[in-house]
This record gives sequence, structure tokens and C-alpha cells, in this order.
Amino acid sequence: MKTKFIALAAGMLAATALASAPAQADVKIGLIGGVSGPIAAMAPAMIDAAQLAVQQVNEQGGIGDGENLVGVVGDSACNPQGGTDAATKAVNIEGVVGIVGPHCSGAVLAAAGSVTIPAGIALITPSGTSPEISGLEDKGTVFRTVPSDDYQGRALARTMKEMGYGKVAVAYLNNDYGTGLANAFKAEYADELGGEITQFAAHEEGKASYRSNLAELAKGGADTLVIFDYGDGTGLTILRQALENGFFDKFVGGDGMKSDAVINELGAENLANFVSSSPVGEQSESLDMFNEAFKGVGGDPDAIFANTSYDAAFVLALAIEKAGGNKADVAAAVVDVSNGEGEAIRPGEWKKAKELIAAGTAIDYKGAAGDHNFDEKGDVPGTYALFEVGSNGFEVITEMK
Amino acid sequence: MNLFELLNFYVVPGIVLGSIYALGAVGITLIFAILRYAHLAHGDMATLGAFIALAVVTSLGVSPYVALPIAILGTAAVAVGIDKVFYEHLRERPKIVTVMASLGIALMIRAVVQVVWGVDTQTYTRGIVRPEDYFGIRIRDREIYTILAMVALVGVLHVFLTRSKWGKAMRAMSDNPNLALLSGIDNKKVVMLTWVIAGGLCAASGFFLGINTELKSMMGWHMLLPMFAAAILGGVGRVEGAVLGGLIVGIAEELSVLVIPSEYKAAMAFAILLFMLLVRPTGLLKGKVL
Amino acid sequence: MEFLGLVNYALFMGIFICIYALLALGLNIQWGFAGLFNAGIAGFFAVGAYTSAIVSTPPADGRLGGFDLHFVFGWIAAMLAAALVAWPIGKICLRFRSDYLAIASIGIAEIIRLVIKSEPVLTNGARGISSIPRPAGDLAYMESQIAYLIIVLAVLIAAYVLVERQFNAPWGRMMRAIRDNEDAAKAMGKDVEFRRLEAFIFGAALMGLGGALFAHFNRSITPEAIDPMVATFLIWIMLILGGSGNNRGAILGAAVVWIIWSVSEIATDRLPHEYAVQAKYIRLFLIGLMLQLVLRFRPEGLLPEPLRGDQRATKSGADPR
Repeated sequence: MKTKFIALAAGMLAATALASAPAQADVKIGLIGGVSGPIAAMAPAMIDAAQLAVQQVNEQGGIGDGENLVGVVGDSACNPQGGTDAATKAVNIEGVVGIVGPHCSGAVLAAAGSVTIPAGIALITPSGTSPEISGLEDKGTVFRTVPSDDYQGRALARTMKEMGYGKVAVAYLNNDYGTGLANAFKAEYADELGGEITQFAAHEEGKASYRSNLAELAKGGADTLVIFDYGDGTGLTILRQALENGFFDKFVGGDGMKSDAVINELGAENLANFVSSSPVGEQSESLDMFNEAFKGVGGDPDAIFANTSYDAAFVLALAIEKAGGNKADVAAAVVDVSNGEGEAIRPGEWKKAKELIAAGTAIDYKGAAGDHNFDEKGDVPGTYALFEVGSNGFEVITEMK
Repeated sequence: MNLFELLNFYVVPGIVLGSIYALGAVGITLIFAILRYAHLAHGDMATLGAFIALAVVTSLGVSPYVALPIAILGTAAVAVGIDKVFYEHLRERPKIVTVMASLGIALMIRAVVQVVWGVDTQTYTRGIVRPEDYFGIRIRDREIYTILAMVALVGVLHVFLTRSKWGKAMRAMSDNPNLALLSGIDNKKVVMLTWVIAGGLCAASGFFLGINTELKSMMGWHMLLPMFAAAILGGVGRVEGAVLGGLIVGIAEELSVLVIPSEYKAAMAFAILLFMLLVRPTGLLKGKVL
Repeated sequence: MEFLGLVNYALFMGIFICIYALLALGLNIQWGFAGLFNAGIAGFFAVGAYTSAIVSTPPADGRLGGFDLHFVFGWIAAMLAAALVAWPIGKICLRFRSDYLAIASIGIAEIIRLVIKSEPVLTNGARGISSIPRPAGDLAYMESQIAYLIIVLAVLIAAYVLVERQFNAPWGRMMRAIRDNEDAAKAMGKDVEFRRLEAFIFGAALMGLGGALFAHFNRSITPEAIDPMVATFLIWIMLILGGSGNNRGAILGAAVVWIIWSVSEIATDRLPHEYAVQAKYIRLFLIGLMLQLVLRFRPEGLLPEPLRGDQRATKSGADPR
């Protein structure tokens, strides 16, 4: 049995080696995400959005001399164990020239620390929001297309203050995403702007009832509940139970709450007092172009982090083109193609970009989720807008400053 | 805080949650008593039951409550099938082997749910339901049904176990398997019956979790630990103990936010359990000592 | 490139297998030799990982430490801290038998996880700790992997030799006697409770060390790593599949299970492109199925516990009566 087992394992390895050998002509990028595990509901749309970018590249001439761009999907399971495993396989077995993902901050830190930074592979996470990622000593190889929590939390606080929200209570998911946003929001809303936060409480995911949490949050007489959670996970449960039981009049969500699941499951008619923030490009036509294209392939543009995932993949593709397929130059090229100088490239304009790169003209990607001018830490300053639920899904009310 | 507020926002949700836990815990406690191992695929089996009901609702367009019996039967059949294919031949082995096998089954069931139904969050019925007011107690129909169904299912099970021939055989197996076998009880039938009951209750548990919140592919896995805590809290092998344990865990979780930070809510079940094991290792109602 | 890639991947798997083998060895002391059903491995893993991270990282604002000490101190501290945490837990919980201990230890591991996640002053909360120094981390990619593999392999071999020696010593015989027939051991005048506690603490220390090695390899540790699936149940599968009661079995089990876990993804990636995401679910299904097959045909483990005298009849002594 033991020998059988080893034979089986060896067979699988051999099959792998064989299968990846003839694929040399393709240019591969790794799309690593938490397909299994706690964010299983979010990961498929994010990966599909990244695949859309890959598809557009291939339809409009491919990489270099018409080489195919291939997105290799890896499962990080939203934990460091899976993240490093998937990244190692992507880098060493598939031979990817860059990685989009992983999705969860813990997996990003581990995959970057033990695989991509030592190997010198560019890594762009579309959703790892932890400030720890900024602090990585990454030799300029780690980027993210999602702004750090701090920016969004503060911008949301300022916008809400401006719009005249009064006493608020804050409920946040007890992970790096929720904690980061909530603390930034609190620092701005209460400490800087003098707003009143009556209750400030974290919750664990996956419980069946949050009514007692809501009752606690409602103490203190706030009329607005600010939720930093995911709209297709626990955030939906909380919003539902708050609406059903008449806790709070108004609801505000972070970008994680701008999910179609909220509208589909609760009904637009019940969400008149619900707004949520989400990253948008400075020229919102970029976002429209992405939305149009993603709907065209059957995707849901309102899915959480879909636009940041798309941008990450598209920027990576531009960088690969710019670097001429040279793995070591991809990371530097990521900055080159999006540093705010040069001819503007919008989502889906691969052909135009390719011609400009060939001509040696500088280009600047203006993405669906922002302009993505990466700073030296690989972070982007965010541009956010506040959305409300209208008859056609989420609609912009105001830009957030 | 007045009494009604306490009841409406802490106790009633706790009882509903506790009923869901109880349905799962009864199955766990039966498997513990008769087959003598911890069945770690219980949570994912509940997920499967919930999604079978969803399939019936979406394909036939019937009310979720009509789909419930179908889901119960379907999940019971799956449970029996899993036992026949995967667990049966491990019966003579150390029990830990079966525990590990059930962990593998959990992964397999979850994978099937994710492939067949996808990973998006879904609901049986769209929209929200506001509660009715009964003399100050605010409760929804679906919550009343959850509690009633739990009481009815457990009641029927109790009558079955105490009155019918096969129920008595199951209890005999639980008390003393060797003696039961000697007295001519058909082991295979008892095991099959156990799985029918456990599988069916699993489906009911998953269904009521789904109808009170949403359906997610990980929903059952998240419920596994509180359900185990409830089963052991009540005393292993005691059906009414599992119900009591489930209710206590549910209510304690909801009440816990009054005294501890809400991020520690999930720890409440275990804190109670540890305390219980220290002062009364056999559980609330005298169960087996494992 | 292809070949170097495979080598790099193999090195990576080697490192992970060594780390998991350490955890499995720790569990083998507890379950294989003392019959203690510890289902809270993740808790000790986390304590070790965070202790070592706090001891060896440079000072940081807002959380305990870092003390900027050499990583060796971090690893020693990890073992001590895990043992220290295990002591009161064992003192209280070891009186529970079998499945009760399992659920109690799962509960304690969950509580440890929640504390780590929710107390920023202690552990930086949900954000975790990054920039943990990695031994030989300044070398190039492959060289640093080789160096780290040598280090973890050395640690594993040292642990194996020590544990194996203990098992073959009178101590090991006594532990097995306690596991298989507690009453008889008691009648022989053995201090059963103390011995159990001893095994529990030793096992926990090894788990803490495994956690520390993991954190330093990734240069970061976050609460997401304390997922019960990959930090508790996976190790149980390794031990049972490898052969509980046999140290070599524990190590072999770690190797086989991790190879299945990791390589299965490459195998399912061969599915057509449109099913790239579904392939990940199918992968988990295959892992589950593979486990069933091994348990079906090899239920006593790949390397069963060597039979010393007639143990068959009492093999399940630690199980419910």
C-alpha cells in the first residue's frame, strides 16, 4: 500500500511536470484566491473579473507576439498555509510571471514573505487591506489595487459628517478588514470631527443570530448603524436582522457591503436607507466600461472587489507587456504603466495600450476602481464614492473626499 | 432594560437559535450513544439538507415548509448511504479511525454542495419579514415554526425510543451493545435507523438555520462546535439532554453580549461546557461517561 | 527552469512536511502513547508561533514586545510558552476521558484563537505580526529554502531521536501501560495523572515549536493561520493515517497527507479552463475520498504501532467502552 501510495504521488507529480512542459509558449499569471474557506462566496467573482482582463488581452492581440495570456487559478483557502502553498506552485510549477492575489491579508503576508519576494515575482493583491502589507520589505514587488483601510474609513467618516449623520453605532467583523476600517472610521468620526459613536463592537463570523449584538448596539440611541463586514456573509445577516427587528433607521456600509447579495436577498424596497461606499475611478467612465464588459461575460459588477481584481490583472498584463516578458522587470513596470504620466488607458483598451507600448510611448492605466498611482509602498490612494440602492442596483450619490 | 426587551432581543432569539442547535445535537448524541464516535460531518450534512430543500423550493416553486419533509428524507437517505459505503467497514476498528473518516466526509459533502449549488449566499424567500406582536413578545411565524418543529420532532423521537420495539432496541444498544446483540437485536438495522434519524434531524437543523438566516456553503461547519458542546452539555446519549443543552448554549450565546465583549460570543458555548465538565462530568442529565 | 522549479517546489514541500511532522510527533506523544484526545493543536501552535514572533521581532508600537532577540531564543520561548499554557489546561482537563477531552480542548483552542484575534495590545489583534526574521532569509530564493529545510530537518531529527529514545525507555513502556490499562498501571503504583500531564506538556511544547518554525518561515503570523482545519484536523489525519503510536508513522503520515493536500491542486488544475474555480472544490472532494480509501485499506495506518506482546485486544483501550 505504501508503495502504491508513493507511486500515486509520483504519478501525480509526473503528470504535472508533463502537463506544464508544453505550455511554455503561453505567458502565465497566477490568480490566487480564497476559493475554499471563509470567503468562498466572494472569491469566484473576483477570479472571474481577473479572467475577464485575461480574456480581453487575448482577444486584442495577446502578449508580445500574440502569445496567449493564461490565468492559472490557485486556492489560498484564505489562510497562510494555503497561500504559501498556492504561491509556491504558481511560481515554481506553473512558472507565472506575476500573481494577482491572494485575497486575504494573512495569505498575502505569508505568500509574499516566503515566496514572491525571495523569488522576485510581482504580486498585486486586489483585496488584502491590512496596513501590515504596506510595511513589508518587498524590494518593490508587492502592490495592491485596493486602498488601505485607513483611507476609506476616514473618507467615509468625513462624507457622513458632511451629509449630516448624527449619532452612530459601529458593528465590524473581527478580522483585519473589519477592524482596520472600523478603527480608521472611529479615529476620524469621533476624534477628529467630534461626531458621536455610541457603541463600537466587533462580532465573529458565521453565527446564526446577531440580534443580541444589535440590541446592545442600539443602546445609546444612535439612529444609524455603520457596518464593516461582507454583504454576502455575516454583514447580510446583521443587516437583515436589524431591518426585521426595527433596530436603527439608517445603515451605512463599507465597500464590503456593496454586494448584489444584499439587494437580491433583502429586496431593493427595504433598502431605501442603506448606503455604502466603494472605490471608483476618478473618471467614472472607467468603471462603466468595466461594468459593461463584465456584464457581457455574465459577471456581476457589483460583486465585492470585482473591480479591484480586474484592475490588478489588467495592470499586471500591461506591466508584462512593458517588461517584454522579462520576469525580473515586471514589478518595476507595474509602476511605469500606472504612475499618472502618459496616455490614459481605460479598462479593456488593450489594443491601444499594446500599440503605445510598442511605440515606446508612456501609458497610464486609469482603472475601474481608481487611477492606481502606486506609491513607494505599493499602495494606492483611493477614490471612493457613496452608493445608494436604486431601481437598477447601486447608484452613485456622491464622491467621497 | 425592561423585561420585554430582554425577552425579545435576547431570550427569544436564543431559544430559536437553541432549537436549531438542539436538532443537530440530538443526532450527535444518538451517534455518540449507539455508534460511539464523534461525527464531524454533522454540520456539513445539515448544510446538505438545507440545500436539498432549496433545490425543491426553486425547482417546484413550493413553500419551503413543503420542501422540509423531502429534505429530511433525502438527507436521511444520504446519511444511510454514507454509512454503508464509508463507515460500515470501519466499525471494528478503533473509533478514532471513523472520526477521521467523518472529517473526510465533511470535506466531500461541502465540495458537492459547492459544485452543485455554487457558493453564493442564497435564501428560500426573498425580502424581509417583520415580527408580529403577541402581548409584547415580538416573534415571527418562522421562529414559531422552528421552535414547534423542534419540539414535535424531538417529541416523536422520544415516543419512538421509549414505546416502539426498534426504539427500545436502539436504547438497548446504547446501554449495553453486547447484551443487546446477545438478546437477538439486529445490529445493522439499529445502525441504519440511527442514521435515518440523525440524517433527518440534521436536515431539519440546516433547514431552520437557512430559513432564519441565509444559506451558505460553510453554514453547517460553523455550527458544528456549538452543536457538540450542546450534546455533551446535556449528557451523552440523552435526547432530552441534547435539547436542553442546545437551548442553554443558544440562550447563553445571546445573553453573553450583555456581560462580555461581543467578539467573544463564540467562546460562550465552550466556557459553559468546561464549567459543566468540571462540576458534573456526566452532563446535565446523567449521560454516559465516555 | 522547469527542473529548478520542481526542486524549489520540492524544497517547499519538504519544509512544510517537516513542520507538520513536528506537530504530528507532538500529537503522537499525546494520543499515540498516552491516549489523550487533544483536538486543540491549533491553540498550542498559535501560542508557539506568536511567542516566537513577539520575542524575535523588533520593537513595535501598540503591542507586546518585540524584544528583537535571536530566533533561537524565540523558538525556545515558543516551546516554554506552549508548555506553560498546556500545564493548567492539562491540570484541569486531563481528568476528562477521550471525547470529552477532545471537545474541551477544541473549546480552549477556540478561546485562544479569539483572544489572539481580539487583543491588539497582546498580539496586534486581527492584523497579525509581520517582519519576523527568517533564519538564512537573506540568501537567494532557492538557497534560503535549502538552508531553512536543513534547519527544520535538523530540528525534526533531534525531536524524533529524543522522542524515540523516551518511548523505548521505561518511561515509554509505562506510558503505554497507562494508556492500555489505567487500572493495572495504577495498581503498579504509577502516578497516572502526573504521567499524563507530562505527556500532554511535552506534546504541546513540540506543537509550539512547530508553530514557531511556521511563523519564521512565512515571516508573518496572522489569526487566519489558526484555522482548525489546517492546524488541528489535518494533523490528526496525518497521525491516524501514518500510524498512531509509531513516530516514523507520524512523520510518514505528515509527508503523505501534505503531498496529497498540495499536489491534488495541480492534478485538478488539469480540468478544462472554465472549471478552474470548481476544480478547487473537486480537489477537496478528492482529498476526502483519498482519506476514505487509505482508511479503508489501511485503517491501522501506513506504519502501525509495533506490536509489543499481545496488544490487539486492548488496542482500543482509549476508546469508549
